[in-house]
Amino acid sequence: MPDLGERGNVMGPQPIAPVVEPPAEMFAAAERLLNALMRGDNATVEAMTPAHVRDEMMQIANAIPANKYDRFELIGRARVAHHYFLKAKLSGSTGEPFKFQFRLGPKDGEWTVREALDLSGRRSAWSR
Amino acid sequence: MERMIPVDKLARPEDHILLPANRTRNARSEQGLSPGNAMPYEDDFLKSRMHGICGGEFQAMEAAGRTLYDFPDAPWEFQLDMARQVWDESRHAEIYMKLLEYVGSYYGEFPEGEVLWSCTQAEDPAARVAGINRGLEGLACDVFEQLIRIAQKMGDSVIERSVDYVLADEITHVRMGSQWMRKLTEGDPARFKRAQEFQDRIDELFNFGPGRKRVEDVDHVKQRIDGKEIEIDNGLTIAREARLLAGFTEEEIDRLVKGFGKSAAY
Repeated sequence: MPDLGERGNVMGPQPIAPVVEPPAEMFAAAERLLNALMRGDNATVEAMTPAHVRDEMMQIANAIPANKYDRFELIGRARVAHHYFLKAKLSGSTGEPFKFQFRLGPKDGEWTVREALDLSGRRSAWSR
Repeated sequence: MERMIPVDKLARPEDHILLPANRTRNARSEQGLSPGNAMPYEDDFLKSRMHGICGGEFQAMEAAGRTLYDFPDAPWEFQLDMARQVWDESRHAEIYMKLLEYVGSYYGEFPEGEVLWSCTQAEDPAARVAGINRGLEGLACDVFEQLIRIAQKMGDSVIERSVDYVLADEITHVRMGSQWMRKLTEGDPARFKRAQEFQDRIDELFNFGPGRKRVEDVDHVKQRIDGKEIEIDNGLTIAREARLLAGFTEEEIDRLVKGFGKSAAY
């Protein structure tokens, strides 16, 4: 989004509501998942994935060679009520980065993966 | 030349989340929410509604530009109208980006949907303007009129005036669509019928089940916005006055209210 200026320093209408900040627990869960994927820790990935999403999540886990990537970046984020769609990029010293999109949602205090989509060869989740 | 480009060919920054409608519906259903758009009783209603409109303005800008590009043999006046619409929609997108900031949001906070772009998928310019200018811009009249009434209840002149400014343009876009739909199909009733059917499908798609209600018939729900509790509509209403100004007939408006989705061109 372009910089529209520091609203506090200008005259005119001020925002009538605060921006909703994503919960720290959601970021922590995303970090846990991505680190597990990079080191090939399928047990942790499975533990964060309910049964109905396990197949699609494990396909992604299996597409990521253990220890090929050593850093991640959350390059996109959008929310639907209390769930967050996240787009992640995994990078390493060699080869193309790996991109995928997943949704995290809270249940009973735990953030789990609700869906996942490999973005390899796609520009977005729009491509079907 | 490729016409009807798929939605994933639209240029978007990598940090945007772009979703087919079913993925958003699933995410909402799993949280116990109605599968469609954010409802008036939800905390995010105003932000989410404006976000959806902002995405719609971007796609409307792209759609008008695409129509201009796709039909180089169309009359020069048609191309001029499409170019003018691109400029209008780009201003609308800017206005809604600023309104998003005003209500404590930003473009990209929610996913961008594809459903509006799917309404541009017609090979014939007459069908394009029937669907986009009469179907979608007619829907915009309904949504904007409702938003203006909400802003009036909030006592918020920023939203009220900004949206009213955009609504004035949408009325001209509907009129433009009606004029070109008629002109481009002159002497070809079969082509007119196909364009009309394309618009019918779009009207049907956006009737959201039971159809649009008259302002005086819609139920209300209490919502707390900007520190005030106000009563707002609990469903989509039809902007009768704006649609009449745009040239829809009473009969067309009645049909949309009844949920038939038919909106015969006048």
